[in-house]
Amino acid sequence: MAEIKSNAASVEFRGVTKIYGRSKVPAVNDISLHIEAGKLVTLLGPSGCGKTTTLRMIAGLEMATSGQILIGGADVTRLPATDRDVSMVFQSYALFPHMTVDENVRYGLRFSGFPKKEVIERARAGLELVGLSGYGDRLPSQLSGGQQQRVAVARALVLEPQVLLFDEPLSNLDAKLRRHVREEIRDIQQKLGLTVVYVTHDQEEALAVSDRIIVMNNAVIAQDGTPRDLYDAPANAFVADFIGEANIFPCTIESIENGVASVRLGALTISLPGRGGSTPGPAKLAVRPGRIVLHPAGAADTLPGTIQKATYVGSHLEFMIETEFGEAFVTAPDVDAPFKAGQTVGLGFPPRGPVLIGN
Amino acid sequence: MKNVYRTAAFAAFFTAGALAARAESLTLYCSADEAWCQQIARGFEEKTGITVDMTRKSSGETYAQVRAEASNPKGDVWWGGTGDPHLQAAEEDLSEAYVSPMRSELYDWAIKQAEAANDKTIGVYSGALGFGYNKDLLAKNGLPEPKCWADLIKPEYKGHIQMANPNSSGTAYTMLATIVQLMGEDAGFDYMKALHKNINQYTKSGSAPIKAAGLGETTIGIVFMHDAVAQTAAGFPIVTVAPCEGTGYEIGSMSIIKDARNPDSAKQFYDWALTAEMQGKAKDVKSFQLPSNKSAEVSELTPDLSTITLIDYDFKKYGSSDERKRLLQKWDTDVSSLPQ
Amino acid sequence: MSVTKRTPSLHPTLVLWATVGLVGYCLLPWYGLRDNFFTFSWLLDGWPLKGSVAPALFLVLQGEKLWLAPIGILLLVPFFLWGRKKTDPLFGSLLIAVGVVGLAWFLLQGFGIGLRGFSWEWLKAIFGDLKIRQFGMGWGAVLVGTALLFLLTLGLAARGAVGGDEFVVGSIGFVIATVGLFIFMPILQMLASALVTQDGDYSLSVFFQKLFSDRLWGIGCLTGGPRCGVAWNSLFLAVLVGVITTLLGLVFALMVTRTGFRYGAVLRALTVLPIITPPFVIGLAIILLFGLSGFFTQAFAELFGVQPTRWVYGLPGLLIAQTLAFTPIAFLVMIGVVEGVSPSMEEAAQTLRANRWQTFVTVSLPLMRPGLANAFLLGFIESMADFGNPLVLGGNFDVLSTEIFFAIVGAQYDQAQAAILALVLLFFTLGAFYAQRFWLGKKSYTTVSGKGDAGVHPHLPPAFRNTVYGVAGFWTIFTLIIYVTIFYASFVKLWGVDFTLTVDHYVKAFAVSWNEFGLHWRGSAWSSFWTTMEIALISAPLTAGIGLITAYLLVRQDFAGKQAFEFGTMLSFAIPGTVIGVSYVIAFNVPPIELTGTGIILVLSFIFRNMPVGVRAGVASMSQIDRSLDESSLTLGANSWQTFRKVILPLLRPAILAALVYSFVRAMTAISAVIFLVSAQYDMSTSYIVGRVENNEYGIAIAYSAVLIAVMLAVIGIMQLIVGSRDIGRRREDGNLSQSRTNVDLPGRGQPALTGGG
Repeated sequence: MAEIKSNAASVEFRGVTKIYGRSKVPAVNDISLHIEAGKLVTLLGPSGCGKTTTLRMIAGLEMATSGQILIGGADVTRLPATDRDVSMVFQSYALFPHMTVDENVRYGLRFSGFPKKEVIERARAGLELVGLSGYGDRLPSQLSGGQQQRVAVARALVLEPQVLLFDEPLSNLDAKLRRHVREEIRDIQQKLGLTVVYVTHDQEEALAVSDRIIVMNNAVIAQDGTPRDLYDAPANAFVADFIGEANIFPCTIESIENGVASVRLGALTISLPGRGGSTPGPAKLAVRPGRIVLHPAGAADTLPGTIQKATYVGSHLEFMIETEFGEAFVTAPDVDAPFKAGQTVGLGFPPRGPVLIGN
Repeated sequence: MKNVYRTAAFAAFFTAGALAARAESLTLYCSADEAWCQQIARGFEEKTGITVDMTRKSSGETYAQVRAEASNPKGDVWWGGTGDPHLQAAEEDLSEAYVSPMRSELYDWAIKQAEAANDKTIGVYSGALGFGYNKDLLAKNGLPEPKCWADLIKPEYKGHIQMANPNSSGTAYTMLATIVQLMGEDAGFDYMKALHKNINQYTKSGSAPIKAAGLGETTIGIVFMHDAVAQTAAGFPIVTVAPCEGTGYEIGSMSIIKDARNPDSAKQFYDWALTAEMQGKAKDVKSFQLPSNKSAEVSELTPDLSTITLIDYDFKKYGSSDERKRLLQKWDTDVSSLPQ
Repeated sequence: MSVTKRTPSLHPTLVLWATVGLVGYCLLPWYGLRDNFFTFSWLLDGWPLKGSVAPALFLVLQGEKLWLAPIGILLLVPFFLWGRKKTDPLFGSLLIAVGVVGLAWFLLQGFGIGLRGFSWEWLKAIFGDLKIRQFGMGWGAVLVGTALLFLLTLGLAARGAVGGDEFVVGSIGFVIATVGLFIFMPILQMLASALVTQDGDYSLSVFFQKLFSDRLWGIGCLTGGPRCGVAWNSLFLAVLVGVITTLLGLVFALMVTRTGFRYGAVLRALTVLPIITPPFVIGLAIILLFGLSGFFTQAFAELFGVQPTRWVYGLPGLLIAQTLAFTPIAFLVMIGVVEGVSPSMEEAAQTLRANRWQTFVTVSLPLMRPGLANAFLLGFIESMADFGNPLVLGGNFDVLSTEIFFAIVGAQYDQAQAAILALVLLFFTLGAFYAQRFWLGKKSYTTVSGKGDAGVHPHLPPAFRNTVYGVAGFWTIFTLIIYVTIFYASFVKLWGVDFTLTVDHYVKAFAVSWNEFGLHWRGSAWSSFWTTMEIALISAPLTAGIGLITAYLLVRQDFAGKQAFEFGTMLSFAIPGTVIGVSYVIAFNVPPIELTGTGIILVLSFIFRNMPVGVRAGVASMSQIDRSLDESSLTLGANSWQTFRKVILPLLRPAILAALVYSFVRAMTAISAVIFLVSAQYDMSTSYIVGRVENNEYGIAIAYSAVLIAVMLAVIGIMQLIVGSRDIGRRREDGNLSQSRTNVDLPGRGQPALTGGG
């Protein structure tokens, strides 16, 4: 009985740059990263940020213009896709429409020198793993979107690749199915201990499945960390805004002592954990909308503001508040809070609320 | 399974190859009309079992081809077409001397042709220049019957006469040379200028004018008489005329190509092509040239050269490329550029 | 992975090509044979020692042709890479060196030493006169050349060219080499030979004198003289034909798509007829109907009591015949474009308060510009290259194509003159090619996005629609009359004289009998018929193959110089068949590539003449196959050759079929290039038909053509069965699949690909 195992290996980029054709602007600019074996790492970012190019460079579908790529410690920079031990699940699934499900799943095995019997066994085991036993004779066109997705996963898995790549695998599915499939992917990954690199532009999806998220912007890595790190301590305005929503306030760091920074925000002084690279002087403060607490106007340690708009959205209230630093977006879980448009309020910043970010 | 197919295919391939290799073959360049060429090729095949690869090209073209292939000849025998290029080929040592045992059966003009070329070519047929008209069209247009070259320049024939362009057709060049020899160069060109006014089209190929006449697309065509007769035999209302002033002629010739790949087959063909039996069959494909074998059967339609006034055509002078170029150039500038 | 790929001590591709090269060098005859190689009679003919059939190795060992020795040594060099990996820098560098040096030497000796020793004066100057001569290259040389080429590309791939992909680099190298050898080299040789005078010297003054002669460029017809230059005639005719066929094509396309016309299928069938009609036949039918004694001319003359004239000879007849013959091509181009204009564009215009006519003029028509330009270009080139109709109908209206033919074939035999005329012709067609690109500019005309387009095309305004119906109706009736005439004429004893019905013509052409030597194909047409079938069936798959490979490279691969590559491969599209014919005769008549008189030269001319169509069909359908399909195949461990073979090809069936059918049909009906290349052994139907027409044997010519039309229809049907039979059911289902954007249209819609230069 064949069983699908894992040959998980690490992936490493050393100063990798990719420039397409005669373009002057690099699609990926001097990126270095390390993905440990057996982890699910997501590349997250807006379209055009270079995340897909990065993924395709791991696959060998694009060749790095400069730098070095290592998989399992071996240099694969110049190796074409065929010769890399990497499988990929495509956004469109890329199931071969002229082959049955079985033929699709066996496709890669045929070119890997497995004996015929083992090819059949493995394909069967692969389909079983994704819960599609008995669908082998169907054509891709006779399956639903979710089933096609799972065939694509099985097809990639049966090769027991060192690294499994997903390129926005859920974007063609409807919202309900998306949640279900993403959990399945995570389950299989954890069960087999696969190294998975996962590209998405959906931050919720990224937060839900990843061991680690690499946020990319403008061809460089904006931040690399666990989902919690990214959400609670965004490194810069871009990450703060891209992952969830954030209010960015200009502030001044007055002093840093023992890792605690004393930050001035208008008339307010807040003590926060300082972050690497923070120095006294002008800085920025990111605050999640739910981390701002509204107080009646004039309350101590608050920033004054005027409510422009109050919206009731069922589970909570949303406010747009005019402050001296521009508009702030605030949510309050208490739907019965006594705040109305036109009212002046005080914005309070509890500890663990605001985060210092780079520029 | 696949291997079985492959083996079978290979076996078939080799067998076919071996069979093909065994058969004798002959490559024939034929410069006469297609049907005649076909008859000859098939006739030789049926007679001997030797496969004949025949290609039909005009004599000028064949001459060029033979010359181009001189260092690596691909053809064996060149049969038919007007004598000039054959003589030229002989002169350039492109053809092989051969004295056929059939020679005693031939007319003098055929042997004269051979002697002029040190036996490197020989006459196989002969034909005189003339013209033909479509009698239905002639009647319909109320035109008198043309009898002489001089008749053709009469104004009533305006737009009714077709001839080939001497630049592209040997027939038309023969006509130009004949007129020059008949009337002298100046008078000859005056005649051509006058004729030019009556011409409705200069065709590319030599026999096209009479074919057009046959189809009723022109009234009169200037061609070799045997071509005109062929149209009559095909059922078209064509009347052939031997011009009263006298006319030129061609000697269709045959040569064996030097260093031929199949010299034995070539000689076998050469002898066969001079037999009365073979030459007598020309009329079956409506070729009405006069055969060179005296005892070859001729059709009653074949123009009898002995009753036609023939000029003493100077093949040597008018066949030379310098004279040819000069006359054609003159015709181009003095005649063809005139308004019609 | 539990099974790792075994790494042999020597790269398998290297072993393959080094072996091929050595086989060519050591076993196969180096020089061209007099007999067909595949009869293997050379094995019994003194092989391997006799000079004419000896492999290069034995020649060298016997002390002959010593300049071949370095090639043999170079072929051994790759084996020094034993045990080295492809990633080893030495691997690539050494192979590149072997390839470059080998190919350079190979070509140098081939071109440098010919039939009369050294071909170039400077070689003679350095080394003195060489007494040894060499003939054209044979299969041995072909294999060695191929091996050197692929060793070079393997080296380049190893050094990382195009992502290090051997198959892709090899394919690029192969396409460049063949296109260079069989398109660019002949054209250049032709250019060179245009400079040669009849005495064999080079002379620029003679060249210019011929190039600017009055015969070509005279404008006598404008100033009251008898006629204009041949070049002007050709240009004028081609522009007229281009414009008229484009307009008619547009009219038909509009009728089928935008009038609710229900018999579109019938119309499409009717338009296929002229494409599969051998040349001359239409011209002939026009003479039978409109000539001096033609049915309509006579009827008209009698009706109005006027003198019948030869009005049809010259421009009018040519215009009618070419319009009739080339309108279908324009239609097939236009239908694709007209259908391709997204209905939502037109609907948008209508919601913006444009009426139907305004919508058509301001939105639909401008979006059809690429189609209009293409259709015009095709009509223009076809007319320029057309040979059959001017020969039959030209009268005194001389055009370039026939002039070229008679310069080579006629009594004058002037190759340089033919080359000069061909250059003028090429100048016109390339000019049109550029003008088209210039006119289209860089604007985008793509409106179909791949997303479902639910709209419907608006109907034409009624007045316009009636005009369209009128024009199309007239044309259809006219075509039908022509074809009925053709069919009838093939059964008439002697047109114009004896109208009794007979099957004599068919018997004469296609009789079969037995004699003492076995089955005898007695009919006069058999020999050319079988040759034509053979050549057409060999060249069709090769054309489709090289076309699709090229398309694959263009659509799926990025490499330096891709634009030049694309231009080079599409160039032959703008080269008229006449020019190909002349240039092949000039280039391949002498060593090192000596092909005149063989079937190979015909096959090659068809491949490179029709290749752009294969490329276009391939590009069109390949761009509709989602790139992720091949990428997923690559990441699953298949190499690019396996991907091409297992994934792309099966999905390209419609394109393959279109390319196959097109190249088959062209090989059966083309005349302009063929007429120069046929030989004793390899006579083609079309050139045979020319002969019949020249001889007034219209009955046989037409009967033969009727048979060819039937045969072509049958073969097209069979091809459809073979190529399309498997998986048809599947592909239909795929049509409903929104996820895979593969092109799953049935071949009918692939038909715009059925177009190309003559």
